[in-house]
This record gives sequence, C-alpha cells and structure tokens, in this order.
Amino acid sequence: MEENKKGYYWKGFYMKKEGLIMGLILRYATAPTDIESGTVYSCGKLAISPSTLLINITDQVYEYKYKREISQHNINPHQGNAILEKMTFDPEIFFNVLLPPIIFHAGYSLKKRHFFQNLGSILTYAFLGTAISCIVIGLIMYGFVKAMVHAGQLKNGDFHFTDCLFFGSLMSATDPVTVLAIFHELHVDPDLYTLLFGESVLNDAVAIVLTYSISIYSPKENPNAFDAAAFFQSVGNFLGIFAGSFAMGSAYAVVTALLTKFTKLCEFPMLETGLFFLLSWSAFLSAEAAGLTGIVAVLFCGVTQAHYTYNNLSLDSKTRTKQLFEFMNFLAENVIFCYMGLALFTFQNHIFNVLFILGAFLAIFLARACNIYPLSFLLNLGRKQKIPWNFQHMMMFSGLRGAIAFALAIRNTESQPKQMMFTTTLLLVFFTVWVFGGGTTPMLTWLQIRVGVDLDEDLKEPTSHQEANNLDKNTTKTESAWLFRMWYSFDHKYLKPILTHSGPPLTTTLPEWCGPISRLLTSPQAYGEELKEEDVECIVNQDELAMSYQEQATSPHSPPAGLGLDQKASPQTPSKDNLYEGDLGLGGYELKLEQTLGQSPLN
Amino acid sequence: MEPGDAARLGPGRAARALPPRLLLLPLLPLLLGRGLRAAASASSSGAAAEDSSAMEELATEKEAEESHRQDSVSLLTFILLLTLTILTIWLFKHRRVRFLHETGLAMIYGLIVGVILRYGTPATSGHDKSLSCTQEDRAFSTLLVNVSGKFFEYTLKGEISPGKINSVEQNDMLRKVTFDPEVFFNILLPPIIFHAGYSLKKRHFFRNLGSILAYAFLGTAVSCFIIGNLMYGVVKLMKIVGQLSDKFYYTDCLFFGAIISATDPVTVLAIFNELHADVDLYALLFGESVLNDAVAIVLSSSIVAYQPAGLNTHAFDAAAFFKSVGIFLGIFSGSFTMGAVTGVVTALVTKFTKLHCFPLLETALFFLMSWSTFLLAEACGFTGVVAVLFCGITQAHYTYNNLSVESRSRTKQLFEVLHFLAENFIFSYMGLALFTFQKHVFSPIFIIGAFVAIFLGRAAHIYPLSFFLNLGRRHKIGWNFQHMMMFSGLRGAMAFALAIRDTASYARQMMFTTTLLIVFFTVWIIGGGTTPMLSWLNIRVGVDPDQDLPPNNDSFQVLQGDGPDSARGNRTKQESAWLFRLWYSFDHNYLKPILTHTGPPLTTTLPAWCGLLARCLTSPQVYDNQEPLREEDSDFILTEGDLTLTYGDSTVTANGSSGSHSASASLEGSRRTKSSSEEVLDRALGIGDQPVLSRGTRLVFPLENA
Repeated sequence: MEENKKGYYWKGFYMKKEGLIMGLILRYATAPTDIESGTVYSCGKLAISPSTLLINITDQVYEYKYKREISQHNINPHQGNAILEKMTFDPEIFFNVLLPPIIFHAGYSLKKRHFFQNLGSILTYAFLGTAISCIVIGLIMYGFVKAMVHAGQLKNGDFHFTDCLFFGSLMSATDPVTVLAIFHELHVDPDLYTLLFGESVLNDAVAIVLTYSISIYSPKENPNAFDAAAFFQSVGNFLGIFAGSFAMGSAYAVVTALLTKFTKLCEFPMLETGLFFLLSWSAFLSAEAAGLTGIVAVLFCGVTQAHYTYNNLSLDSKTRTKQLFEFMNFLAENVIFCYMGLALFTFQNHIFNVLFILGAFLAIFLARACNIYPLSFLLNLGRKQKIPWNFQHMMMFSGLRGAIAFALAIRNTESQPKQMMFTTTLLLVFFTVWVFGGGTTPMLTWLQIRVGVDLDEDLKEPTSHQEANNLDKNTTKTESAWLFRMWYSFDHKYLKPILTHSGPPLTTTLPEWCGPISRLLTSPQAYGEELKEEDVECIVNQDELAMSYQEQATSPHSPPAGLGLDQKASPQTPSKDNLYEGDLGLGGYELKLEQTLGQSPLN
Repeated sequence: MEPGDAARLGPGRAARALPPRLLLLPLLPLLLGRGLRAAASASSSGAAAEDSSAMEELATEKEAEESHRQDSVSLLTFILLLTLTILTIWLFKHRRVRFLHETGLAMIYGLIVGVILRYGTPATSGHDKSLSCTQEDRAFSTLLVNVSGKFFEYTLKGEISPGKINSVEQNDMLRKVTFDPEVFFNILLPPIIFHAGYSLKKRHFFRNLGSILAYAFLGTAVSCFIIGNLMYGVVKLMKIVGQLSDKFYYTDCLFFGAIISATDPVTVLAIFNELHADVDLYALLFGESVLNDAVAIVLSSSIVAYQPAGLNTHAFDAAAFFKSVGIFLGIFSGSFTMGAVTGVVTALVTKFTKLHCFPLLETALFFLMSWSTFLLAEACGFTGVVAVLFCGITQAHYTYNNLSVESRSRTKQLFEVLHFLAENFIFSYMGLALFTFQKHVFSPIFIIGAFVAIFLGRAAHIYPLSFFLNLGRRHKIGWNFQHMMMFSGLRGAMAFALAIRDTASYARQMMFTTTLLIVFFTVWIIGGGTTPMLSWLNIRVGVDPDQDLPPNNDSFQVLQGDGPDSARGNRTKQESAWLFRLWYSFDHNYLKPILTHTGPPLTTTLPAWCGLLARCLTSPQVYDNQEPLREEDSDFILTEGDLTLTYGDSTVTANGSSGSHSASASLEGSRRTKSSSEEVLDRALGIGDQPVLSRGTRLVFPLENA
C-alpha cells in the first residue's frame, strides 16, 4: 500500500516517463507522411495578412482562417510527420484550458490559517524573490550568451538582453508539486509546507505577469539599449496587470459569496456547484477579455472563494466543489506532464545548445540561492518565529520547475532564441522533477526536518475546550505578523460578516451612522436566530466573545472570556464554534467538531 | 462523423474528419476555436495605417490579442447567461413554479441575448479578401501563403456557396458566438448522453426492456418514415405554390424525419422526477428517449450515406438502400460493442485492482475510460455518442458496484454537473442561434407541415406500437400512459445538434430553422403543459420509485416486512418480460460474478469443467464475503443458497414467495448477515443507490418483530 501511495504522489515522475516513451514511439515508429500543405503561395496582391482568406478554387469558394505566422526556416521541418503535427497542441490550450483548473485548485486549497500567518514572508518570497531570481538568471544567461557569441555558437544580435530576462522570468516560476505531495504525505512541518506552497502559488502569478511585461518591453530605437520610459512603462504594466487581475478575481469571488449568502441556493447543491464553477470560470474569462491575466485572476478568485464563499456553501456543495476541482487539477496536471514528455520528441524545432543548457542549470541554482538565503535573513530580522537553516536549505532544494515554466516557454517558439529557451526549459523541468523530486525524502531526513506533524493537530485538540482554544488564539496572534493582525481584525469585523453567515453582526462592528446598511448586509442568520429565538444570556456571551476578540487584538493577555459558554448555552455551541472555525479557516472540519461538541454537554 | 458523412461534405470536411484530428478535437474544449489565436476581427486596431514592418507586426499582434479578447467576451456571455439561468432556476424551484423548465428558461435568456447581439452591435466588415487560384484543383486543409516575404499559415474553415460570400463579411460579434457545430458532438453531447445512460433506473429499465427497445427502434423508424413522407408531400406542395427556390430531394425529407425523430423529453422527465410520477411511465419515456437519440443519430448518418449508383442520384436504388441499412446496423452494433467493451474493461480493472483505496484515481480512471470510449468509437468511424450511451449503461450496471462509496458519489456528481452545464449551454445556444445564425430560411408552409408531421409521426409511432406491445405485456400500457407518451414528444438538444451539423445547402438551412422552431415550441408549450396534462390524464403522482409496489398490495406491510420484500422481487419477475428474465438470469449468474464483487461465486454457477477459470475470475471478495458467513453459522449459508434457489424458482414458477419467506424467517436471528444478504438482493434488483435507506429500515425491522 505504501508503495502504491508513492506511485500516486510521484505522478510527475511517472507520467513524464510514460509521455517520453509515447513520444519516442510516435517519433520513430510512425512513418513521415506527406502533409497536404506542401505548396507555398506567393501573393503579390496582398500587402498584409488578412484574418480570413476566401480562395476560389475551380469555382468553389473555400474559406481559410489565419492560424499563425511561420518563420522561414521553420517551413521545411513543418512539413514532416502528420501525426507529430497532430500531437502538438496549440500552446494557448495550456493557458486557456489546462492551467486555470490547476491554479484555481491551488488557490482553493491554500491552508488558510498558516497561509495568513506567514503572509508577509510568502509575499516577500513571491514578489521580491521572483524579481531577484529573474534578474540574476537574466544576467548570468546574458554572460553565457556573450560567451557563446565568442565561441562562435551564436550570431551576434540574435539574443538580446530582454530575451535573457524573459528566460529568467519564465524560469522563476517554481512548481514544487512533487515536493509538496511528499510533504503532504509525510506531514512535514506545516510552516515549511505553507511557505513553500504559498510561495510557489504566488510565484506563478508573478512570473506570468513578469514574463508578459518583459515581452512587451520594446525600447524605441536600439533594442539592446536601456530605455527608461519603456522600462517604467513595463513596470507600470506589471503593476497594473497584477492589481487588475487581483481585483477581478476577488470581485468575482465576492459576488459569488454574496450570491450564495443572500439566496437560498444551498437547498440545491447542484445549482450551487454549477454557479460556483461558472463564476470562477467567468473570473478567468473576464480578466482575459479585459486584457489582464486570467490565471492570476483565477488564483485570487480561488483564494477568496475558499476564504468566504466556502463558508456559505452547503455541506454537500463543499465536498462537491472540492472534489470537482481536485479532479480537474489531477487530470490537467497529468496531461501537462505527459505532454512534456511527449514534447521532447514530437516538438520539431528543438535547438539543443550545450553551453546554454549548462548555463541555465547553473543560473537557476545561483538564482534560487540569491532568492532564498538573503530574503530569509532579512525576514528573520522581523519574524518572531525564525525560519531556521534547515528550512532554508529545504526551500533552496525545492526549486523545482514545472507546468508554468513549460507553458510559458512553449507559448512562443517562433524565433531561434525562444526555441533554445524552450528546449532548455524542458530539460530543466525533467531534471528538477526527477532528481529533486526523487531526492526529497532523503533530503528531509538529512536536514532533520520534523515529519509526522498533524497539520490540524494544534487545532483539533484545543477546539474541544474553549479555554485552550482561546490560548491558542492568543499564541496565534503573537506569532503572526503585524500585517496579518491588521488584516485579521479587518477581515473578522467587516468582511466576514458582510460576505458570510459567520462573524459578529455588522450592527455591532460598524459605526452607528451606517446602521441601515449594516442591518441590510448582515445575514439574517447572524443575528436573526440568536436574537429572537434564544435567551438573552446568549447575546451577552456573544458580545463578550466579540469583545474578547478585540481585546486580544490589542493586548494578548485578556482572560479567556468564552469559558462559561459550554455550560450556559449548550445548544448554541455548535453555531458559535462555526464562528471560530470560520475565523480559523477550518470550515472543513465542521462536522467532526460538531460531533465532539455535541457530546461534551452530555458529559 | 461517419465516413459517408465525410465523403459527402467535400474535401474540407474530409480533411477535418481524419481520425487523429478527432482525437484532438475534444481537447479544444469550448474555446470557440480560440486556439486560432490570430483570427478574424480587427475592428478598430486595423484602422491605423502602418508603414514599417515592425509596426505591422505589432498590429498583427494586437489584432490577435483583440480577437482573443473577443473570444473571451463571447464565451463569457454564455457563462453569465448560464449563471443567470441558475439563479432563476433556483428562484423557480424555490417558489415551486413548474410551468417553465430550466431549459426553457435558458432558451429565453439566449433569445434575449441573441436579440441584443443582433440589433445592438454595429455591423463591422471583416478584412476578407477573395483570391482566385487557378493552379490547384482541390482544397487543402492547410495553406501556406507567402505575403511579401513572410509566411502565414491558414487553415481551412469551410466551403462557402458563392451566393453567401457577402454574408460572410457581416457582423463580427455574431460570427464569434457561432460555434463550430462539431463542438456539440464532441464536447457537449457526450456528457449529456453518458449521464443519461449512467442514471437509467436500472430495474425499471430492464423490466420494460422489450417495450423500450420496440419504441426506440421500430418507433423511430416508423416516425422517420412517416415524417419523411409527409414532408415530401409538403415539399411537393411548395413546389406547386412556387415557394421552393432550391432543390429538395426525398432523401432530404427522410433526413429531416430522422433528425426530428430524436425526442428529448428532458422537461417532462424533470417534472416526472419532481412529482414522482409513475415509475413505469418514467422508465418507458426515459428509456425510449435515450435509445431514441442513439437510433436517430445512426439513422440520419445512414440516410446521408445513401447514395444510389447511376445517373439519377435520387431515385430508389435497392443496392444503395441495403447498403444504408447495413451501415445502420454496422455502426449501431459497432458502437454498442465498443461502449459495452469499455464498460466491461473498466469494471474488470476496478474489480481486480485495489484502486478503490484512492477515490480520486478511481474517479479519474472512470472518467478517462468513459471518454476513451467516445474517442475510440470516433476514431474507428463509429458514432461516439452511441458508444458513450452504452458505456454509461454498462458502467452503471457493473462498474458502479465496484467503486468505493466516495467514488460513487463523485462520479455521480461529476457527471451530474457536467450534464447540467452542457444541457443548459446547448439550450441557451439554441435561443441565441435563432437570431445570430445568419442563414435562416423561414418557410411558413414547411414549418406548418413539419408541425403536423411530427404530431402525426408521434401518433403513428405510439398508438400502434403500444397496441402490439399490450398483446404481449402482462402489465398493460394504459391509455393514459399512451396519451402521455404521445404528449411528451418533445424535441431537444439532439435534434438541434443533428440539424446544425450541416447547414450548407438550402434544404438543410430550412430544416435547421424548422427544427429550431419546433424545439422552441415543444419545450415551451408542451413542457409547460405537463403538469396539467398529468392531472387531466389521471396519472398517479407521488409514487416513491424505490418502493414501487403493485397497488393492490398492502403497502404498509410491504414497506416493513422482509418476506413481502422478496415477494416483491417475485412479482417483479412475474411482471417482467421474457427477454428480461432470460437476460436477468444470465446477468445474475455469469456477468455479475465476473465483473463485480457481488453475485454467487462463479464456481457454483459455471459448469464444473471450467472450474479453474471460474476460480480465477471470481473476485476474492466473494469468497471473503462467504468466509465470515461460514464462520458465522451454517444456517445462513443455507439460506443464502435458498435465496438464490428461489431466484431460480421464480424465474420458472411464480410461487417462489413461500420459499423466500421461510428463508427470511430463518434469517431473523443475525442482523449483520441479513443486511449483507439484503444488499445482495438489492443490488441484484438494481437499487444499489439506496443502500443506506434500505439498510435503515431493515435495521429497525427485527426489533419490531421481537
């Protein structure tokens, strides 16, 4: 059984092997056939390439659609094997079909509590780290390119500095899916898991936008010279696209949360699931339609959906959505990894350049080091709970490249530098997934990182007793970053009550003058039941609880106020615990907890 | 995409019909051909005149981006439409409004958006250029064009009849929201059909198997011919009146008959399901409509393949006719085999591996295997949708029993969601197509004729067949059932998809328009009239399909008693058709034990000489199941044997009830074993879906007796 499990989690490893074998077979076992597109027409009449061509062939008019531009040297290999041609997807499929579910699933399954606890560090790694890594890789590669020009392997002027930066940005998208699967299986330290997972998820978003900004950086005159205006335009572009996508994704999630909150859609789980799926998808499409990056929007949509909408869904829908996206993620990921193996043989414009490949290997290691160690040092200055050396080494080691890097590289394989990049990326992905992925378990033992930690252990035990829960909350507060604390109180006081059924009623948190709005926005469930049907005692408790939250936010030494809750209002406990869980982002364990709590009054 | 189809559609379609291409087609889901990133458009960006080549390249890039954006917008339109539909459905369900089904609603929203798109967006003219090529005598699937030193690749989109050249260059937005019709066949229909197969109420389905098959095969053929003949009359009439501006052959009429014979009473069935109408009626209608679709698809493709030799291409030719019949049978049985084989393979894989430890993997395997049925059938030249249907039925019958509990709910829910989305998507597209499709041919006479024809065709299909079936059935199909079946002749997604598949010629365009109107009419009017009709026809509602019992029985006792429960099993037997009984015993004795963990061990059912094989194929779990039983007490094994014996008895004699009664009496001692034996019984009867429910009642029952 254990072996089985390993096989399952090292799917990247296996799937690619399958893909490779398949690719080999296709490459060498199928006969090269004559593809029909043999002839090249010369059209003197056309000045530009129209989108649709109507061609009159012996009195029958055929409509042709523009597909792409082909550079001249690609024409011959282009007319090779028809099956190989068929097995090569349009790269846009990755961006429009395969990646969104993967990314959404990643966002949807972020372990929220640990994620927000380490928010500052994760953001630093993701943004600063990716930028550093991109620049370092770009510079090193530029050095190698210069060396290649000297060695006569490359024509001067083919490979610009922007190309190197482009390579750097696409290589910065880490995807430690193998490592994370093993972490998950071995129950590695949750903080390390969250750091890595959060970094890799946000990292992808940053890398995609960065790649796009670099590709549109086009200086006015000399393409190699630095142009401040163009540079700032690119930076502006980066910020604009990122912020826009973020806003788009969260806006859709907020709409979903509001819809699921204010309608009784939870009576029909199928409709609910459908709505959830469609709105998440429209986040992607809207972002694409608005010229933003759909994948980034989908990522933030996923995070927001998990944080708010998830709490509003019916129990059935919760499992349904989880399973649906899990399933889609599984399929899409395996298709990509399979295709990678296939592409090594079926892609017809590979350019293997040993020097470039070696340089790239060196560059990604150095860049990963420049990303992790200095940033960890800086972060440790501010963090109460330091990131120890073994964590840093592990993070350094987990710099695997995966689906995103591949998809970014395959998106544009027109020019020679891009083809070289693609080949190198492919090899890097292979190498890192096989070698690093395989070496994770030995590395973990060697670095003496504790395994077998139950991710939810520290919560499961305390939540059964209110006092422990409060204590835990206190420690959570003290440990967490300042950013987190601010966000937390804002989230708890305003966003949660507006968007979900949990949290204190808005009427208590908002200032007096916006009373009507707050009454309108607070879900009837938040105060309706509690105020009318239950007794007054409970309301006091409720207020006390809310108070204690606020106190804790300012001074971590407030007495555990909710202590008397168990005895006083036993029928009320489950709902109140929902409130706690919602805050901790533990909605998933609701059922289990309710059971244990239901028993405790009896005892 | 059948070979004959491809042959007729000219070189362009033929190129697209190459099997490897088809393998990839479903992998381009719903993207409106967005893969063709640089396409059409250029409404605004093309305006700027560029001189340098770099700027020109930038313009092309911009154009591509613009088109991608437009693709996203059009898909977004559909998705928001669906979202709106979902919310409204919820409102309707919440308020218990039954006169409008979700599909009707989706169509209304589609219509509204279609009107807006049609009249609200400015008509832009594309950058289309017409080239004259003299060197070539045939069309290629891809074209490389050298434009001032740069090479561009173009892919063939389709053939355009010369009269339509101008209309191509119309509204860009309208073109974007018009899909490639193959999207329906390769992406949207398979989940719908698979779900239909997967959720067939198995017990009732198999009980009425004979009738359903008769309705589906004979009925569809009858309906096709009657509609075809009537339409031929209408066409003749139109010719006399002078309303026909192009050719319209008899085969075209038959083709119309075939596509319009695909009934899809989704609205009616939804209402039945909600009101718990009579299960037999439900099974008859559902089974008929599901198989009907399969028959109609194959029938229409064999009519297309009917090409008489000789000069007069539209005279009757016996050889060509028999060839068409042969094609029909070949494709149908081929697709059936393919679907069943994949289902069996999935069942075997899930049986002999311990895959059920990992529900995710299990679900993925299930999904992929079912999908590969479709692709395999298409690649072999069969009909993927038909294969998927039979695959679904087989999966539900065998594989479902092997899955882990989690996978069961996962697969059910997955296909439910897919089915829901796909169906509403198609219906909202239908609404949209009424306005955005640019080649409508409205011909009042044809439309009126078609309406008359479908009603007559339905009547000629239901009443005579029911009469003949009633001669053989013990449990007659009542008049009110017949009227209801007559009334439920709705047309839906399948007719639409078949009609939109080919809209090149004038006749086909007229058919498409008519089909669209018929779908609208039937879904809205007939769908809305279901509830009044049910009460008017005195069809009993509020029947729980799982406790369906003959009305003369004392239902209270039956609900609780174990003995009467097996009596119910006997009664089921009695009522059921001969075909069913034969199939049932074969299924129970051989197929179930081979393919699932249930049923008697093969070693007992197979003759002695193939003992080795039997031992190899019987799942270890069956023995495992038996081992604890052996440990328990020998009494039980006897009763287990008894039970199977009574099965055997009841298939020959109708008096097995006493035997099983005693069996159940001796069972009362051990609760645990009982529940397991009950499960066997349940599963055999195909009501494995409600194990929790039945187990619940059963656990209560011995306490009552004691």
